[in-house]
Amino acid sequence: MKRIFNLYTFFLLLLVVVALVRPYAFFYGLQRGSLYSLIALPLALILGIVGLLNLAHGDFLTLGLYIGYILFNQFKFDPILSMIFIAPILFVIGLAVYKSTIEKVLKSHHLNLLLITFGVSITLVELINSLWTSRPRNVYVTYATKSISLFGISIGAYEFLYVAASIAVLLVIMLVLKKTRFGQAAFAVGQNPRGAAIVGINVKLVYTITFSLATAMMAVSASLMMPRVSIFPNLGGPFTMKSFCLTAMAGLGNLPGILLSGITLGIAEAIVQSIPGYSGWSDLVFFGVLILVIAFRANRGAER
Amino acid sequence: MKTLSIIAVLALAIILPFIADIYLIHVVSTIMIFMCLALSWDMMLRTGQLSFGTAGFFGLGAYAAIIAVDDFNVNPVMSIFVGAVFAALTSFGLGIAVLKLREMYFAITTLALTSVFTVLARNLSDLTGGAAGKILFNAIFDGDPKKTYWLILSFTIVVIVLSEIFERTRVKYAISSIRNDELVAKSSGINIFKYLLIVFVITSAIQGAAGAIYAQQYAFVEPDSTFSANFLLLPIAMALVGGIYSTIGPIVGALVLGFTSEYLKLLMPYGHLIIYGIIIVLTVIFLRKGVYGTIMEKIRSK
Repeated sequence: MKRIFNLYTFFLLLLVVVALVRPYAFFYGLQRGSLYSLIALPLALILGIVGLLNLAHGDFLTLGLYIGYILFNQFKFDPILSMIFIAPILFVIGLAVYKSTIEKVLKSHHLNLLLITFGVSITLVELINSLWTSRPRNVYVTYATKSISLFGISIGAYEFLYVAASIAVLLVIMLVLKKTRFGQAAFAVGQNPRGAAIVGINVKLVYTITFSLATAMMAVSASLMMPRVSIFPNLGGPFTMKSFCLTAMAGLGNLPGILLSGITLGIAEAIVQSIPGYSGWSDLVFFGVLILVIAFRANRGAER
Repeated sequence: MKTLSIIAVLALAIILPFIADIYLIHVVSTIMIFMCLALSWDMMLRTGQLSFGTAGFFGLGAYAAIIAVDDFNVNPVMSIFVGAVFAALTSFGLGIAVLKLREMYFAITTLALTSVFTVLARNLSDLTGGAAGKILFNAIFDGDPKKTYWLILSFTIVVIVLSEIFERTRVKYAISSIRNDELVAKSSGINIFKYLLIVFVITSAIQGAAGAIYAQQYAFVEPDSTFSANFLLLPIAMALVGGIYSTIGPIVGALVLGFTSEYLKLLMPYGHLIIYGIIIVLTVIFLRKGVYGTIMEKIRSK
């Protein structure tokens, strides 16, 4: 407990220092980091409860973005409101993918699990590629481009929705896990699937619902980021990596930690981006941290 | 019988440039490059570690070879060794940290390494030419497809022999016991880390050499196409289709998928890679031993 407290103090201190020295990087990083953790939360849920690293995670996000783009383009649907339609569609797609592929190999060797989500990821990307070609698509809405001035710098106002949404989604997940019967069952399955089965929990059903719900949750991040990104088939891949990076950094089962590490890495990325001539190096922040954290954890595990 | 058929295949492979047209020579050369990648991926998989770093070390070798020729005037054939040695040294350094990881942590870290290499290649502009890449004045052997073919063929034979050495010597027992139960392997006195490191370095060197040859053949490197996910995806699909944990599996898989994909490219120019995704999913679900392994099992049981 004391270590966690120290970590939080260190984190807060770091934030204050960055906010004072580079306010733009601070706000921009806060927004990006919140978006990263918003995307990472479903991955962490699937990893924690089903024990499956879903390499197709980011591609479900891409799929959600394309569905939203079609709704906007054909029916003039507002991107944020289209969440209500994207979520059920993604739920059904997630359910179909889970039932038809992943469930069949869930009990076999862990290599098969990784390979199958890898295969699903490629299939999704190439399906999107052949349906909509690789031409980037954009969604324009006027309210997404407004900016406000804070402490003398101009910063996008719309992106503060990411911060609000990531906190809201985190709270909802925590409440569902703690308060509802399904949440408690899912928590128990995540802790010990065999024990959960013995006390009468339908483990198979919990896995199915968790995977489908987590996939449906991608609708939130998809509809929120839609007006601010170019949509193209390979968009999801880096988000899968970044999501896993945050989950590994926070540690399994530590959902608030994902938001915290997301904001930390978002700000670190923004700082590197703000150094002139080095903006291309910002991609290295996540991968560098991922490799360091995993290697550090593994070494500590080996000593124990 | 077996030796006879091996000699027949080998003889056919050697005289192929005299009887085939340039298009076929080119297709077979490309297939052999992917065959080497598939074999190297499978050799790592035999230890129970799933590596997604194939494309990364492939690109690393390609860059090392092109830079060696362009900046240090190394002979193009020698530059293939430069690519292999560079990939081997890098994998040795990284392996010390990365090989303590298991399962998905190893897989995702190797995937992240590929991204790191890509970012480095794009941003170290003075050395790598940045996003535009580097173009050589001349391809290897002045672009003679027959000589290039024989070079790739001899490299492929080396890789096949290496894979067979792994299959037949006591390295195999060490590797398969690590894959089956690491605790048992450890208590039988096997130095797990040493064997993992040996396999990781050798397979990375193969991938680096393959990348070097491929880059010299086309005389250019460029971040997106050199580190392309194809060099990860196709070898995995090939090894899975042929059957993993064997030498013959990836060879058969590479031949089958390699020729099929040539026709698929003509049929569907956009998104023909979807077939590979579906193949991976289907083989993992239904044919655990791969197409070749399943067919051979059916034949034997009759």
